[in-house]
Amino acid sequence: MALLSVDGLVVRFRTHEGTIHAVNGVSFDLDEGETLGIVGESGCGKSVTSLAIMRLLPKPAGRIEGGSVRFDGQDLLACSEAEMREMRGRDMAMIFQDPMTSLNPVLTIEEQMVETIQAHRKVGNEEARARAIELLTIVGIPEPENRLRAFPHQFSGGMRQRVMIAMALALAPKLLIADEPTTALDVTIQAQVLELLQRLTTETGTAAILITHDLGVVAGMTQRINVMYAGYIVEAAPTAELFAKPSHPYTVGLLHSIPRLDAVQGEELIPIEGAPPDQRRAPVGCPFAPRCAWRLPDCWTTNPPLVPVRAAEAVVTTGPGATHRVACHNSPTPGEAAAGRPLREGFVAAPPPSAVADELAVVVP
Amino acid sequence: MSGQTWADGAAIEPIEASASLVRANGGAGRVLLRAEHVVKHFPIRGGLLGVTTIGAVRAVDDVSFEVRRGETLGLVGESGCGKTTLGKVILRLIPATSGQVYVDDRPLFDLNATQLKEARRDLQVVFQDPYASLNPRMTVGEIVGEGPLVHGLTDKAKREELVRELLAKVGLNQSHIHRYPHEFSGGQRQRIGIARALALNPEFIVCDEPVSALDVSIQSQVLNLLDDLQQELGLTYLFIAHNLAVVEHISDRVGVMYLGKLVELADVDPLYAAPKHPYTVALLSAVPEPDPRRRKKRLVLKGDVPSPAAPPEGCRFNTRCWLREQLGNPERCETEEPVFRDVGAGHLVACHFSEEVTPQAIASAAERQLPVIGA
Repeated sequence: MALLSVDGLVVRFRTHEGTIHAVNGVSFDLDEGETLGIVGESGCGKSVTSLAIMRLLPKPAGRIEGGSVRFDGQDLLACSEAEMREMRGRDMAMIFQDPMTSLNPVLTIEEQMVETIQAHRKVGNEEARARAIELLTIVGIPEPENRLRAFPHQFSGGMRQRVMIAMALALAPKLLIADEPTTALDVTIQAQVLELLQRLTTETGTAAILITHDLGVVAGMTQRINVMYAGYIVEAAPTAELFAKPSHPYTVGLLHSIPRLDAVQGEELIPIEGAPPDQRRAPVGCPFAPRCAWRLPDCWTTNPPLVPVRAAEAVVTTGPGATHRVACHNSPTPGEAAAGRPLREGFVAAPPPSAVADELAVVVP
Repeated sequence: MSGQTWADGAAIEPIEASASLVRANGGAGRVLLRAEHVVKHFPIRGGLLGVTTIGAVRAVDDVSFEVRRGETLGLVGESGCGKTTLGKVILRLIPATSGQVYVDDRPLFDLNATQLKEARRDLQVVFQDPYASLNPRMTVGEIVGEGPLVHGLTDKAKREELVRELLAKVGLNQSHIHRYPHEFSGGQRQRIGIARALALNPEFIVCDEPVSALDVSIQSQVLNLLDDLQQELGLTYLFIAHNLAVVEHISDRVGVMYLGKLVELADVDPLYAAPKHPYTVALLSAVPEPDPRRRKKRLVLKGDVPSPAAPPEGCRFNTRCWLREQLGNPERCETEEPVFRDVGAGHLVACHFSEEVTPQAIASAAERQLPVIGA
């Protein structure tokens, strides 16, 4: 059985401006020791999904309104707050984007690390301190005995993120969720932190979910990828397969809209037109339809389910042989995916039906 | 030419040597802007009353380069390397500590207020944060039209027409002229910022991280817009960014900065294909490629960037340099500041041993390096 099993997760936020449809039915599994990437832009629901798994959604606005999350045989949504607190840190840990705001500025590194260890293990101060020193050594902080007495502001961004990693892995959790762990870091520091994460998760056999907007980061770090858009998983595949045969227009669009170092000089960028949808509106049809170059009339009214790319294939949800699945009525062909635009003779993206058109005029100027 | 101590902001040696060196670089398009020995130190105040100067952050430390008419000069580097400060100094948005910038051979730092105002018409800027750089209490029409009004290029009656034209040019709906910035998305706001920069019909635009605050799918829209505008209007850009792939895409020539110094400057293709400075090599190797088949052996730099308030002696990169280590830590790197020199075909590098930067050396350094853990 999978270590983590998310099924039909729905998360909404109640705000003064109405209900935000943040996650609209997301399902995925994660095996022990696997590394899964979740890719998408701001507002696509990737962070909210992970906060929901950790039961850390902001209260009272954020609510899990449907679905289930099973972790290590337990139904997380049925756990009490006390049970969750036991599990966080010990069984599942999280690293956030901004290492400054996730460390306590008025406590020394030692106090924070010892607190984490003693919260879950009955160990004395000396032993906890020794473990803290050992962890800082593992993540490559020089002179760990001295640095323990330092405060977070005395550390650079990369070093703070190393401390976060050390704390997250302090109790050898089964699951590590890293939410944009390197976005705030410079590229040479990012390379250090990514190598560290990869080494440590491999060595300890920790399953990891890596959340990022950077396709380059997931390409080298993960075994499988879920691409999210507007609260849905629109494509799921093993990493190599996803990059070799992107099958959702959004994935294709992302790959063509970023400049790459290995690109032929002068190669044109093909942007995705328009902007992400306003999630205050309940989703109708495919969420990507207004920006999609491949859309059919159906796309405006029916949201396609996540189904295997090769029809009639049995669905495997985890592991290197996981089924490549896509939620699209009109998948780009391999040739079109390579070109980044529809190549069929005379194909024109379906115009919006008049009812939708009026509403869209506000959202997509 | 360089290598003196700058801590006291001492007078700078005449510029002939390095200026001619910079001029040797290519020489095709006419020079629009020339920065010579630009220095910007921010004082660190201390003492009981906080009025004594106890040091200086050397944000930009003796940087010289040229921008040619119609080209895009990219400027890359990590945070704190001084690239944004350099962009502001060469527009005289903040005063330089020393040095000079010539725009069409006019010394920008010596102009009086009237002359400066006139010169600014040709020099515009697009900022990084489209949320902070637009006045929330002004409508789009007022924001974009303010410049021409101030410079007397239009009057209130004709302003609206001018603004509508500009909005159309940057791909915004003309009917949105009376809206406020909060009604727009990040990408649209950046278009407003670009329209504002274009309003005075400038020759030169400093683009300071214009896409890094935007979502990936929106970035390419703005990059393509900048590209199109350059072709249509013959603009010259100084494009400042930390994203190496974005800079490669948009630039004709690229400068790499480290701790307030330009360490390498060359045409885009040779710089990316065969970098000559060990820092550029490491920077390029650190970029994660969106292609799982190309698992490259990364050359991971050790440690963090040193503080610009106390940069290392000699070559500023020597504390993190893989090449220095490979060469058995030659003393020169710690004692002598490398000259920014031409190593052929206008490829400028500030490294004593740039001839040793070969594909073999890079490969063996990547092979040999200790895992990051041991750093």
